[in-house]
Amino acid sequence: MNNQALKELLYKMADDQLILGHRNSEWTGMGPLLEEDIAFSSMAQDKIGQSLALYTLLQELGERDPDTVAFTRSANQFHNCQLVELPNQEYDFSLIRHFLFDTAEALRFEMLSESSYEPLAQLARKIRGELRYHTLHANTWIKQLGTATPESIERLQKSLEYAMPFALGIFEPSPYENELISSNIFLGEENLKKRWMEKVESVISQTNLNLPDWNLVKPELGGRLGTHTAHLQPLLDEMSEVFKIDPTAEW
Amino acid sequence: MLKSLDPRVTRLPVVEIAKPKAQLDQFGTYEVFVEPKSGKPFQHEGSVHAPNLEMAYILAKETFTRRFTCSSLYVVDTRDVYVSSMTEGEQNVFDLIEQSESTNGTSDFEIYQLIKRGKQHVFLGSVKAGTPQEAMATAKTKLNTGKIVYNIWAIEANKIRFTTEEEKEYWITLPEKKFRDASNYKGGDKLKRFLEKVNS
Repeated sequence: MNNQALKELLYKMADDQLILGHRNSEWTGMGPLLEEDIAFSSMAQDKIGQSLALYTLLQELGERDPDTVAFTRSANQFHNCQLVELPNQEYDFSLIRHFLFDTAEALRFEMLSESSYEPLAQLARKIRGELRYHTLHANTWIKQLGTATPESIERLQKSLEYAMPFALGIFEPSPYENELISSNIFLGEENLKKRWMEKVESVISQTNLNLPDWNLVKPELGGRLGTHTAHLQPLLDEMSEVFKIDPTAEW
Repeated sequence: MLKSLDPRVTRLPVVEIAKPKAQLDQFGTYEVFVEPKSGKPFQHEGSVHAPNLEMAYILAKETFTRRFTCSSLYVVDTRDVYVSSMTEGEQNVFDLIEQSESTNGTSDFEIYQLIKRGKQHVFLGSVKAGTPQEAMATAKTKLNTGKIVYNIWAIEANKIRFTTEEEKEYWITLPEKKFRDASNYKGGDKLKRFLEKVNS
């Protein structure tokens, strides 16, 4: 088993979920409908819970405890893709990001449920139901607003075009792709990207939205290696504010 | 337009032109039913606003089943829930339901009963019928035990967005989400300890 490769995989997955969980939680109390506010907040909590499970696996592999890992690193030590750190804009962008990211996440965990690294395979099987709801939620909203009114379609279309280069950054290859594939830990980013494109196409084709030509979208890369937009550090500062005042605080 | 020296008369609506009632300018409501544990009857939990049945399902799931346990959930348009009259005291509502002419209908209807005022409607059983009225009459002969029931609902099953067998995995991790349960934070104990510390 190649620990470096495994840790790199776990870190980028956990960081994606922690950062997007935090971003999505910023909608709490401000969602477009009471019921949606609750649903989106619940899913943000799920994401943070899933990141905790992954950080716990990392701790078992010798890394520091989850709170320290989550709250004391600076932006250039995070391995999340840039998509998840982008600030919230209008709700259409958050929905598109939720759809593009969660589709990839659900497929990633589906692949990992067969992983040779058994603790990760177990986690993948355990949270399958949570992810299933997240993608049902995303797909239902995209189909609804993607066919509703000229305004809703135009808004989603704009957000889709803006988010797409960042979404392709989810699949930035790891330096350890070959090791992960050959040791049957994970089938690799290229394989995941293919499945993701099919899934995204199948949902978007049920709407009045248009996907950009995949070949013409230039992926926004770098996040996996610690290169981030200016938006990540302020998010981390806010997220770790209480921890930095009192690391033992409990509530 | 009516013409009169009395301004109240000229303000009266013109009655001879039949116009449809104004369309809803907001979302309609959908009723939400939850099976809290496998084997327990479904019960009515409340309603959500939504533009359609599928949207109602995804919104109801977190609004009504984000805490404790749940094994299944379904939603139905409020307008597809047929309700009997409401009784009080010793009056069993089944005694007020009149036999309905048989339509030989074979649609499934879910029947809900209210056995305590102020409580939720709870699933009583399913019957086959052609109309909600016939479903209530059939429930009267098949499901009435003589126990006092104050109100009956009949809902045609094919109007319902059910949870499929495979979808039941949505709630597998729910019992672990204790952080959503206020009592889990033991706020009272923490406050007591804090006050003891401050006062000593």
